[in-house]
Amino acid sequence: MASTSGSAAVEERGRSERKRKRGATGEHGEGTEAEPYKWRTRRVHEIYSSKLLDAIRLVRSGSPSASSSSAAAASPPRSRAVREAADRALAVSARGRTRWSRAILASHRRRIQAARRARLRDRTSSSLSSRRPFSSSASSGKGSKTPALARKAKVLGRLVPGCRKLPFPALLAEASDYIAALEMQVRAMTALAEVLSTVSASSSGGGSGSSSPA
Amino acid sequence: MSSRSRSRARASASARSTMITDEQIGDLVSKLQALLPEARLRTNDRVPSAKVLQETCSYIRSLHREVDDLSDRLTDLLAAADVSTAQAAVIRSLLM
Repeated sequence: MASTSGSAAVEERGRSERKRKRGATGEHGEGTEAEPYKWRTRRVHEIYSSKLLDAIRLVRSGSPSASSSSAAAASPPRSRAVREAADRALAVSARGRTRWSRAILASHRRRIQAARRARLRDRTSSSLSSRRPFSSSASSGKGSKTPALARKAKVLGRLVPGCRKLPFPALLAEASDYIAALEMQVRAMTALAEVLSTVSASSSGGGSGSSSPA
Repeated sequence: MSSRSRSRARASASARSTMITDEQIGDLVSKLQALLPEARLRTNDRVPSAKVLQETCSYIRSLHREVDDLSDRLTDLLAAADVSTAQAAVIRSLLM
């Protein structure tokens, strides 16, 4: 008796949570109207900011060991590492529903695997170029599309990660979600930069950081 | 190789099943246009699709550049301040 009531309560909680989540995303969750707005919620901003902070701190702790070998070229790779960590955090916040997010994570995984394999073979030439040969994009049934539009669509496909061979409607959907996500990334990174500059300014000016004499 | 034939099969299948009309394309393009920052300035009628795509590409490029600049800035800030776990908690609460 107690077990059934307990499980029923858990089920109810799960259902209400799911309902709340669905309510937060707007409509059914897959509707294209809700798509841009899901990147403007406070919740996703918090999730991304938290992930971004963790990723950046990982880069920070990872690079001191790496820069020992090449002290001169320390800063440019670190900025690129920060950029890639931010992109990966953004892709993770997308929850795998969009192609660009999956492409970002897949390319990172491939690079890690290639680096690991190269390290195992003692850095002999093992360039695993898993890049597929670039075939011309499929026309996919829109015969009336003018060449200018096709050219622009190709350029757009190259800008959004993982969307080179996508048919036109899917490409536009991916691009709109990608733009909304990038805008959130800019907002979150700006806020983080402001906070970090305040923290570092106060710590360098005050001398002992958080603890101030009462 | 198999992926290419698969994508070609998918493309032909989509051509047969969902004929993508110009109206659908125009609808999608107008939806995309609504996201661009200049959409609030101009009257949103009769903007050619090629122009919208062009602006989309340049907007994405500018966003990429902004993210690069911000990551440069964050790298410098990171080099200056070594963040302990306690400070990270403070930062997190400041961001929320």
